[in-house]
Amino acid sequence: MRINCPFCGERGNDEFSYLGDASVVRPDPASPSAADEFYAFAYERRNVAGPMQELWYHTAGCHAWLVVTRDTRTHEIFEVKAAQDVAFGRQKTADTTP
Amino acid sequence: MSESAQSLTAKNRPVISELTDVSVTHLAARREMRTSLDDVARSTFGVALPATPRVVEAPGVMIVWAGPDQWLVMQQRGDKADIFAELAKTFNGLASVVDVSDSRAIFRVAASRPSDALVRSMGIDLDDSVFRPGDVAITHVSHLGVMVWRLPDATGYDFACPRTYSRDFLDWLGKI
Repeated sequence: MRINCPFCGERGNDEFSYLGDASVVRPDPASPSAADEFYAFAYERRNVAGPMQELWYHTAGCHAWLVVTRDTRTHEIFEVKAAQDVAFGRQKTADTTP
Repeated sequence: MSESAQSLTAKNRPVISELTDVSVTHLAARREMRTSLDDVARSTFGVALPATPRVVEAPGVMIVWAGPDQWLVMQQRGDKADIFAELAKTFNGLASVVDVSDSRAIFRVAASRPSDALVRSMGIDLDDSVFRPGDVAITHVSHLGVMVWRLPDATGYDFACPRTYSRDFLDWLGKI
């Protein structure tokens, strides 16, 4: 499997470390159901068979965190984005949502 | 950049030399300061900081892309006063500035084209059409993290590795 790092170009997966589901977002501690939400945030994961967003770290390369959309059945990769851009995009959406 | 006269390889092999007396400074742009940093860098060095994996040269300085919004600034020490202190002052508030001169060993392989052995030994594609003069890659060889760049004048390849591992790295380099 090869990952197309947006900064370095295409590299073998031996250069990367896997973290897990990139769709998990830290809950709001002020939420009334914060305890349950934090439990889910820490422990509950979906076992996706198909495309999912994953966090990968370019350990032996540029040291950037990446969000990789990968089919867990075929290892086909559909999209790779810098995690920083994804996080800032998410923040921007949250800021503009009434 | 000058090189130490000591040749580290046998006859008929590419000459490998260590770049000595070089000041190496790591710059990392502070958030939302990239535009200001670019302006100051251009007026200080006379060249722009490379936004992609490239190396650029200006009189007395070589700037190597070292990751997103990060660079290595290499300057020959010579008789110059404290290069790092000057850079830290120039980029204060715009970038994190760290003197990494003692933590990096830099080796130069004099070769206009990559040898077959070098091509086979590295995971990245070193073909002329892909790894052009001035290109930079951060990768690993023989389980050691290295930065490699092809000199803009196509006369060789520079490798920067953690100095702690430089003996092991040189063992690998000597075999290619």
